[in-house]
Amino acid sequence: MDRIRFVIDGEVRTVERFDPTRTVLEYLRETEGRCGTKEGCAEGDCGACTVALGELVDGAVRHRAVNACILFLGAIDGKELVTVESLAKPEAPAHPVQQALVECHGSQCGFCTPGFVMSLYAVWREGDAPTRSGIEQALAGNLCRCTGYRPIVAAAERACAASDRSESRRVATAEQLRAIRPTEMLAIEQNGRRFLAPTGLDELAHLVLAHPDAVLLAGGTDVGLWVTKQQRRLPTVIYLGRVAGLADLAVGTDRIEIGAGVTYTDAMPVLAKYHPEIDGLLRRLGSVQIRNAGTIGGNIANGSPIGDSLPALIALGASLVLRRGPVERTLPLEDYFLAYRKTALAPGEFVARIRVPMAAADTRFRTYKIAKRFDQDISAVCAGFAVTIRADRVVDLRLAFGGMAGIPARARACEQALIGQPWTQAAVLAALPLLTQDFAPLSDMRASADYRARVAANLVRKFQIETSGAGPVGVLALAEAQP
Amino acid sequence: MIPITTASRVDGRLKVTGGARYAAEFAPAQDNVLHAVLVQSTIAAGRVASIDTARAKQVPGVVAIMTHENAPRIDLGKAGDMTPGFPLLQDDRVMFNGQHLAVAIATSFEAAQQAAQLVELHYNRDEATLLMSDNPTGTSVPQRFRNGMRPPASTRGTPQASFDAAAVKIDQIYRTPIEHHNPMEPHATLAEWQGDRLLVHNASQSVFGNRKALAGFFGLPEDNVRIVSPFVGGGFGSKGVSWPHITLAAMAAKLVGQPVKLVLTRRQMFTSNGYRPKTVQHVRLGADRDGRLTAVLHDGISQNSAYGEFSEPVGLASEMLYSCPNVAVTHRLSKVNQGLPTFMRAPGEASGVYALESAMDELAWALGMDPIELRLKNYADRDEHEDKPFSSKTLRACYEQGAAAFDWKRRVAQPRSMRDGRLLIGLGMATATYPVNRSEAAAKVRLQADGTAIVRCGSQDIGTGTYTVMAQLVGEHLGLPLDRVRAELGDTALPQAPVSGGSQSVASISPAIREACLAVRAQTLQLAAGDPASPLHGLDPEELDVADGRILQSAEKSRGETYQALLARQGRAAIEADGSAKPGEEKQKFSMHSFGAQFVEVAVDPDLGEVRVRRHVGAFAAGRIMNAKTGRSQMIGGIVFGMGMALTEATEVDPRSGRVTNATMADYLVPVHLDVPEIEVIMVAEQDDAVNPLGAKGIGELPTVGTAAAIANAVYHATGQRIRDLPIRPDKLIDGLSI
Ligand SMILES: Cc1cc2nc3c(=O)[nH]c(=O)nc-3n(C[C@H](O)[C@H](O)[C@H](O)COP(=O)(O)OP(=O)(O)OC[C@H]3O[C@@H](n4cnc5c(N)ncnc54)[C@H](O)[C@@H]3O)c2cc1C
Ligand code: FES
Ligand code: FES
Repeated sequence: MDRIRFVIDGEVRTVERFDPTRTVLEYLRETEGRCGTKEGCAEGDCGACTVALGELVDGAVRHRAVNACILFLGAIDGKELVTVESLAKPEAPAHPVQQALVECHGSQCGFCTPGFVMSLYAVWREGDAPTRSGIEQALAGNLCRCTGYRPIVAAAERACAASDRSESRRVATAEQLRAIRPTEMLAIEQNGRRFLAPTGLDELAHLVLAHPDAVLLAGGTDVGLWVTKQQRRLPTVIYLGRVAGLADLAVGTDRIEIGAGVTYTDAMPVLAKYHPEIDGLLRRLGSVQIRNAGTIGGNIANGSPIGDSLPALIALGASLVLRRGPVERTLPLEDYFLAYRKTALAPGEFVARIRVPMAAADTRFRTYKIAKRFDQDISAVCAGFAVTIRADRVVDLRLAFGGMAGIPARARACEQALIGQPWTQAAVLAALPLLTQDFAPLSDMRASADYRARVAANLVRKFQIETSGAGPVGVLALAEAQP
Repeated sequence: MIPITTASRVDGRLKVTGGARYAAEFAPAQDNVLHAVLVQSTIAAGRVASIDTARAKQVPGVVAIMTHENAPRIDLGKAGDMTPGFPLLQDDRVMFNGQHLAVAIATSFEAAQQAAQLVELHYNRDEATLLMSDNPTGTSVPQRFRNGMRPPASTRGTPQASFDAAAVKIDQIYRTPIEHHNPMEPHATLAEWQGDRLLVHNASQSVFGNRKALAGFFGLPEDNVRIVSPFVGGGFGSKGVSWPHITLAAMAAKLVGQPVKLVLTRRQMFTSNGYRPKTVQHVRLGADRDGRLTAVLHDGISQNSAYGEFSEPVGLASEMLYSCPNVAVTHRLSKVNQGLPTFMRAPGEASGVYALESAMDELAWALGMDPIELRLKNYADRDEHEDKPFSSKTLRACYEQGAAAFDWKRRVAQPRSMRDGRLLIGLGMATATYPVNRSEAAAKVRLQADGTAIVRCGSQDIGTGTYTVMAQLVGEHLGLPLDRVRAELGDTALPQAPVSGGSQSVASISPAIREACLAVRAQTLQLAAGDPASPLHGLDPEELDVADGRILQSAEKSRGETYQALLARQGRAAIEADGSAKPGEEKQKFSMHSFGAQFVEVAVDPDLGEVRVRRHVGAFAAGRIMNAKTGRSQMIGGIVFGMGMALTEATEVDPRSGRVTNATMADYLVPVHLDVPEIEVIMVAEQDDAVNPLGAKGIGELPTVGTAAAIANAVYHATGQRIRDLPIRPDKLIDGLSI
């Protein structure tokens, strides 16, 4: 197939011959002349470009908000694209979320507004009236410099309190989506550059082996920026989003297996069920838009020292299933990272699944993210800790950190010193000086080396306090407790 | 009189449906627009030795690469290279990292972008001063402080001697970093020449300012230049002056003989349109043991560029906020190789009041006095600097109502004494003040035969609700519902209005619109009274009124007729009138400021240094609030702007190259939802008959003032640590926190 098809405003649109890394935002504004969707940053940070993507899930259309500025056009093949213009035709009444924004004065200059409308639309479509913190999370990926957010939150509450969510077109859209469901490989080629989207796992394995230099594209929340921010021209992109076998999420007795193509949004409820702690962390990873597109597989494969999910997964003892051609191998996650931005992934190989073991009943697990801003910020330090205590002694301890070294890493010396010790404040304090053997953090824009070192130590202390009966303490724990 | 209304904004629907068109979204009539992408310098000082454009020109679709070698010559005129509109590719000088050195022009944005990347610049470097020091030396005195309207320094009484002799002293230095406005809409310009006429769509806070600049640069009569800017995606000061990219777009269009669109990237927004300069402020307060101020000395140094001049007026509030016989204020500049700073939301006061109100808090601690009590003890009943009465000042009520809503009395005075579990809790407050500004403006109002009205005024709506206020004024005066009034603004083809800055728009344009409305109304009433076929015939126009789209007899409201009926009978297409208004004597007679009080509760994590504002109460007295709904939203927005300043925002510059290192929305941290707590805004009633005919003082900037100080004061109360260097980030706090 050398063209894409998607539904927009109830019509099936076919597009062929386009730049393989053209973004949906460029397409909308330049080709469709639909300028309601705005560009505020082109890097996924501001949410002004938010659109909703509709997909068939269990026979019904489900919508999710994503950032159009870092979404490649090829990735919407077979989906419904909903933009701010879709919600209300010029002479028709405005959509309830639009109306609420007007009434609550949630729009001043209006530049951020279409993005907020679309984020709210996705919340509204979910059905249940969201909580205050649910609304705040839903809007965390939308920046507004004018309103101070409160009027927008009020609008969200008002819109979602109204009960009637019927949209007449939904059934028809489902039909259309069924009709354009992709079944074969998509290959868009222009000026020697390619966008390839296989549908089967074997097909993918074959392609990756055949194009060892290709860039694998999962959610594109990292790769998209290579194009829009670094202005790289990627020769071959292999899109993973349509590979059925990568989207599986399986819960076994001793572990959860997450396909590398599973988005954060889909993985979170399952992870949260067995590891409730990780949910709080992932809710602060990027924004809803980022989590609707981005994958844990991408976070790992990207090889960044500050990928937020990594310390937590290392602390949980996660491992990776890597595949090259027909061959699979398994590797503990912590062994995947070799050096700054260097991983154990061989040419032609890709991440197929992530295995997360179930925690033992006597293991306590916590995660921490330290950033300068509470939402939408890259970590200065990120941590995942797991301790197992038996007969009042520490029998297993994993203190994994991001942002402390060139790769996500465990504080081995500190861990060793605590094995066999009682899990007390005194024991922890005695072991903390060993962190200086484990890490020599750097100073950068996000934090000074000194701050990182102190925070790392304080986090371990906090972990001990929080796992010894105190429960979570922190300014955000408190914020969430507020009504 | 105009009552406070709560109308929803008239442009609301357009904005929520994506129908509002911003500068980048216009296209010339013929579909022949070219796209321009800027090439910026990567060194901070020197000269361009050579530019190689050969590879760039090979990119398919490239039309031209404009450099200082082939750019159209323009007239720098009297302003010379001192204007913010400089530099404009007129010579080879490089004065800061990020200066525009070339423009790639192509048939598609992608081609222009690719070409821009391929332009090769070679430099002869000069020595550069890349950063303003934390302790600047070699500073200079501003030459044109406040446009030369007043000297940069002032003294009353014997400040130094009184300070030396004071029983209690505070002597501290406060620092604020470079901040960028970061409106959500990136600046954009579409320039189109039609012979010697120039049409420009521009994201603008001042269409008439842009017109003047462009007419000057191109040596054209102002009437030959038209600037259009119907919707602006926020400005906060960054779209107030005619930055170089606007002129460069027009130069590019001239060079290639085709319309050119130039949109800045977010990254370029950090070097192309000014910023709030870094300041280093030395504040000294002297007081007697009862807390009466005996000396206030405020010496401010702000960053300036290597060309042009912008001076941040940090000390002006210190001259008048408190009653004190001995006050000295100075302003100096520290020159560095960076772009020119500019006005940013509450220029002067945002930075200056942070320093002053932090120092006042320090003084309260030194005296063992409640911070509000200290402020009340030094309450200024008149402006002692200008030696004039205030046109109105309701600050006392702001303190009272704010403190009551906030429950200030629960505060335990001792720092570090309030806790919530392991968290440290702090309560802080600060005063807010901002001057009232007003400029001359004109407007046209047209009542049409179909019973609708149009109001035209070349002001701007940068999100503040100008459209709504304009429509509302006409609605009130002509008795029309809002949906029958159309407001037109943002166009130099309309009557002239001033820059949307300094919170002056409403105060400036409203009297002009009012005058036009009154003239239309008078003509209409006259017409009705004089028309034998009118049911109102023969009545004295004094006895008539307008309401619900009708002209009627005040005493007997059922007697009357619609505008449509009257105009149809008269065979008139419309009744039209002009209005204009300019400030009168009031500025000579009164000191005019709005005031407020900010109250903040913070929680600090002692292990991590994280600060979270839990609650904010702001009480503001700003004369009449024209629209409670738009006003409240703006005030909350202003407070959150101050929160960003307090806790997260700072532009970082690489000390080796002078390059901005955090030029993205991911790294320049404006507040997000989770940073924003419950915010309560109290609009303290205030009547001011002197300030302007409407009694409205302007609210856009006041709520930003004092917010950072209130947060810093709350952080001190929580932790016992005084942060005198914004923003208050965790790594600055953690040193003193270990338990
Ligand atoms: C606004 C914004 C906010 C963000 N916030 C955070 C944050 O708070 N914390 C955080 O950790 N990250 C954050 N990120 C980064 C990013 O979202 C994550 O790293 C995300 O997990 C990447 O997943 P993806 O599916 O989008 O990966 P992609 O961008 O598609 O790919 C990332 C990399 O992984 C490779 N890759 C992807 N899948 C595979 C595979 N199966 N096998 C081999 N290689 C593969 C790609 O080739 C590429 O090198 C943010 C990004 C943005 C734009
Ligand atoms: S434009 Fe800012 S997130 Fe897409
Ligand atoms: S209304 Fe201006 S950025 Fe949100």
